[in-house]
Amino acid sequence: MKEVPPKLPLRFFRWFCHPKLRDSIEGDLMELYEERRAKSGKVKADALFFKDVLLLFRPGIIRPAEGYQQLNNYGMLKNYLKISWRSLLKQKMYSFIKIGGFAIGVAACLLIALFIKDELSYDKHYANHKQLYRVLAVITENGDIKKGVAFPAPMALAVKEDFPEVVNTGRYNNSELFGAGASEVRAADAEDNAYDEGFVYFDQSLIDMLQLKFIYGNPQKALSQPGAIVITKRKADKYFPNEDPVGKALVVNNKADKPYTVGGVIEDFKSTSHLQFDFLIGMEGLEFWNGEQKTWDASNYATYIQVAEGTDAKSLEEKLSNGIIEKYYIPMMTKSGRSLDDVKKFFTETQAHLELQPINEIHLFSEGVDDKLNYGDIRIVWLFGGIALFILLIAAINFINLSTARSANRAKEVGLRKVVGSLRGNIINQFLSESVMFSAISFVLGLAIASIMLQYFNSISGKSISIPWMEWWFVPSLLGLSVVVGVIAGIYPSFYLSAFKPIQVLKGALTQGSKSSPLRSSLVIFQFTISIILLIGTMVIQKQMNFILNKKIGFEKDQVLLLQGTGTLGTQVVAFADELRATSHVVEVSTGDYLPVRGSKRNGNSFWNEGRENIDPNVTSQFWRVDPYYVNTLGLKIVEGRDFNRDLASDSSAIIINQKMAKELGGNMLGKRITNYGGLWTVIGIVEDFHYESLREDIRPIAMVLGTEASVLAVKLKAGDMSESIQSITTVWDKFAPHQPIRYSFLDDRYAAMYNDVQRMGKIFTSFSILAIVVACLGLFALSAFMVEQRSKEISVRLVLGASVNSVFQLLTWDFLRLVLISIVIAAPISWYMMSRWLEDYAYRTDIGWDVFVVSGITSVLIALITISFQSIKAAVMNPVKGLRSE
Amino acid sequence: MKKYQLGEFEEIVMLTIAILYKEAYGVAIKNEIESRLKRNVSMGAMHTALVRLEDKGYIRSHDGEPTEERMGRPKKYFQVTALGKRAMEYSRETRNALWGAIPDVSPNVKFS
Repeated sequence: MKEVPPKLPLRFFRWFCHPKLRDSIEGDLMELYEERRAKSGKVKADALFFKDVLLLFRPGIIRPAEGYQQLNNYGMLKNYLKISWRSLLKQKMYSFIKIGGFAIGVAACLLIALFIKDELSYDKHYANHKQLYRVLAVITENGDIKKGVAFPAPMALAVKEDFPEVVNTGRYNNSELFGAGASEVRAADAEDNAYDEGFVYFDQSLIDMLQLKFIYGNPQKALSQPGAIVITKRKADKYFPNEDPVGKALVVNNKADKPYTVGGVIEDFKSTSHLQFDFLIGMEGLEFWNGEQKTWDASNYATYIQVAEGTDAKSLEEKLSNGIIEKYYIPMMTKSGRSLDDVKKFFTETQAHLELQPINEIHLFSEGVDDKLNYGDIRIVWLFGGIALFILLIAAINFINLSTARSANRAKEVGLRKVVGSLRGNIINQFLSESVMFSAISFVLGLAIASIMLQYFNSISGKSISIPWMEWWFVPSLLGLSVVVGVIAGIYPSFYLSAFKPIQVLKGALTQGSKSSPLRSSLVIFQFTISIILLIGTMVIQKQMNFILNKKIGFEKDQVLLLQGTGTLGTQVVAFADELRATSHVVEVSTGDYLPVRGSKRNGNSFWNEGRENIDPNVTSQFWRVDPYYVNTLGLKIVEGRDFNRDLASDSSAIIINQKMAKELGGNMLGKRITNYGGLWTVIGIVEDFHYESLREDIRPIAMVLGTEASVLAVKLKAGDMSESIQSITTVWDKFAPHQPIRYSFLDDRYAAMYNDVQRMGKIFTSFSILAIVVACLGLFALSAFMVEQRSKEISVRLVLGASVNSVFQLLTWDFLRLVLISIVIAAPISWYMMSRWLEDYAYRTDIGWDVFVVSGITSVLIALITISFQSIKAAVMNPVKGLRSE
Repeated sequence: MKKYQLGEFEEIVMLTIAILYKEAYGVAIKNEIESRLKRNVSMGAMHTALVRLEDKGYIRSHDGEPTEERMGRPKKYFQVTALGKRAMEYSRETRNALWGAIPDVSPNVKFS
C-alpha cells in the first residue's frame, strides 16, 4: 500500500507551482516522503513534507500571476511594439511628421487646457463661495442691456435687515472720486513716498464673508476702528519689513495729520480672485459728505451678500429685486419730483431689476459690467478650447492620412500575418497599439514643448500658469488621454489596414492608397479650412488694431507726458506747473485727472436745460473738472464758442460741452444755461466729439468746468529729444518733491494699453494660426512626398516620352492645390461671419473688406505651393532612369 | 563585467550534477549534497537554484520514465551544458588565481 502525504499541503503546492515544474518536483516530494516515512514515521514525515512545501513557496517556482494564457498575449504585444518601432525608424520623415505634428497639437492643447482650468477656478477658493453673491443692477436702454455693480451706500444694510435669507452683506468702494485706486504711501516714520495701487474702501463684514486669511491682527476686528487699514502681506513686507505692523501708522498722500492705523495683515489675494486689492481702508465712521452713508441718490458701492445655506437664489433674487425697488428706489425717485406714474413707467420700460451673481461666475460672466476690475470672458474660453481641439484634430488627420496613404507598404505584412493565423481583431489590435505608441511618444514630446513654450504663452495670455507636475491627477490623466487620443487617431487606419485580403496583397495586386481617396482629400480640405479661418481671423484683428491706433480720435495723444502723484504737492502744484511751462521743452501743462483714456477719473452726472429738471428726461453725461489749459494741452477742437479764459472770473460758472451733448440737449446750445443738481452753468464753448472711452462704445455726452484738482498733470512736449525733455522735467520735479520719485507715463501708451486685450487676441491668433498652418503643411508635405514616390514610374515614363518639367510639375501640384482652393472657398464665408460678430463689439470698427480674403487666400496658396513644389520639382527634374531601372 | 553569474550554492548544485552524471535528479542531488557536505538542503532552495541555472543555460533537463515510488511522476534529470562547464571552470580559475596571489610571507592568513 502506497503511503499518501497529507492532502492539504499537496493541494496548496499544486495550486501555486509553475505548471512546467509541477510534475517533477511533486515526484521528488513523493520520493522523499516515502523515504522519511519508512525511516522516521508518519508524523515526522508529514511535518517535513509540510516544511518542504512551504519552503518551495518562493519566486521562481510560484507560477506567474497572470497565468499562461496572457503570457502569450504579452509576447504578441512585445512583437507589435517592436514592429512599430522598426517601421518608425524605417520611415524617419513620415514618423517625424506624424509625431512632430501630434506633439505640437498636444502642446497647444495642454497649454490651453491649463489656461481654461485657471479661468474656471476663479473665486472657488473662498470657503463659502457657494453662498456668496454679488448684486448686479440690470437695465435695458434702447435695446442694450447694461449692467452695473455700484449701489447706494445704505443698500447693504437694508438688504440684510429686510431679508431673513441674507446672513450678511458687505461693500467695497473703489472709485477714484473718493480716493481709492492709486496713492502715494509711506510708513509714518519713513521719509520717502512710494507709489502704490490697489486702495479700496472695504467693509469689515466683507472680510468676514470672504474669510480672508490673516497673518497678523484679529480678523473679526481688523477694520472696526475708525481709520483702520488692512494691508496684504506683500505690502506689509514693503513698508514694514520684518516686523508685525499691527498698530503702526501708514501715511497716504502726505496727509501726515490723518494717518491710517494698520489693523491687520492678510495674505495676498490669490491670482484667481476677481478682487485684487492691496490696501483695504475701513469704512467705520467714514462719510464722504454729510449724510453720504444714508443717501440713496449716489451709487458708489459694490455690494455682496451671503445667503443662508440651502437658499434658493432665483426666488430670493426676485423677492430682493422687487422689495428693494418698491421700498427704496421708487420713494427716492418720486422724492426728487418725478410723478409715481412716471417712475413706474421708467421701471417697466427699462425692465430695471437686481440680479444675484454667484461669486464664482463673476470672472467669466461679467460681460458688459464696467467697474475697473479685470474680467475674463467665457467666449474666449470657448474660442481657445475650440482652437486647441482643432489643432489637435489637424494633427490627428495627418496621422490618419499618412497611415492610410502608406498602407501599401504595410500591406504585405498584414497579408503575411493573416496567412500565419492572425485574425482581423489581432491586426486591429496591432495597429491600435502602434498608434497608441505614437501618441505616447507625442505626449512626452508635447509636454516638453509645452514646458518650453509656457513662458511665451504666459506672456501673451497674461497669466502665470505653471505645469502642475506634482498634482496627483496630472500624470495619470495624461497617460489616460494619450491612450484615448491614440485609439481615436488609430481607429480608422487600423480598420482600413486590417481589411486587406491576404491573397491579393501577397500577389502584389494592391495599389490602394496610391490614388488620392475622397476621404483623404476631404480631410486635407478640412485642415486647410481651419488654417485659413485662423489666418483671416488674425488679419482682421490686426486690421482692427491698426484702425484703432490710427483713427482720428479727436485729441492729440502723441507727445503728451502724464506726471503722476502730483496730488502730494498740494497747493504748490500751480507753481510747479508754471515752472514747467517755463522750460524750453514744454508746450503746455494742464491738470490731467480726467483723461480720455481708461483708468483715469470719471464722474457721471445728470444735466437738464435750465428750468426743465423735472420735465425733460435727464441727459447722462460725464462731468469733468479741468483747468484753462486742458483744451490746448490735449488738442481738442472748439467748433463753436471759446475756450476757458483764466482771466475771466465769470468763467467759474462756464461750461464746455461736446457736440453729442449739445445735440441731446436740443442743439444750438451756445450761450444757454444748463443745470445739474450741483449748479447752474453757462455754455461758452462746444468741443468736437472726441473718444474719451474705448472705441467699443459710442461717444457719449461730456461737460467740462473749471476746477483745481490735480493729482495728475498732463504735459504737452515739443517734438524732439524725449530723454532730454524728461530730464528737464525731472529736475523741476526733484526741486518740488525731493522725497518722492518722479513717476510718469505717456498718453499714447495709455491709449494703446486700453486695447491690450485686442493685441493679446491678435498675438494668440497669430501664434495659433501659425501652428495650425505648420501642422497642416507638414501633412501636405508628407502626402505630396508620398504621391511622388508612388507615381515615380509614371513620371519617369512621361519624362521619357517627352513631357516637359513644367507639365509634370503642374500634374503633381494641381491635385493638392485644388484642395487648398476649395478650402479657401469654404473658409471665406465662415470666417467672414465669425469676424463680423467679433467686430460687432466695437462701435467704431474697420470693415473686413475683400482685401483680407484675397491676401489670406494668396498667402495660403503660396504656402501650400511652396510645400508641395519641393517634392514635385524634385520629381520633375529627376533622371527618369532612376524611376525605371528597378523594373 | 562578470562573465559568468554563478552563486556559491549554485556552484555546489552544478558540481553535484556533474558528479552524479547520468543520475542527477532532484532527490538524488539533494541527498548527494547532504551526505557530502553535511548540510541541510531544502527542496525549495534547491529547485529555485535548478530553475535559475536552467534559465541561465548552464544546465539542461529531460524527463525520465515515471516510476512507482514517485506515484507516477517522472524524474527530471539534469545535465551540465558546455556553457555551464565553462562557467564552472571560470569560477575555479578565478579562485585559484586568488589563492595563488596570496603571498607566502603573510603570517595572518591562517586557516582552520
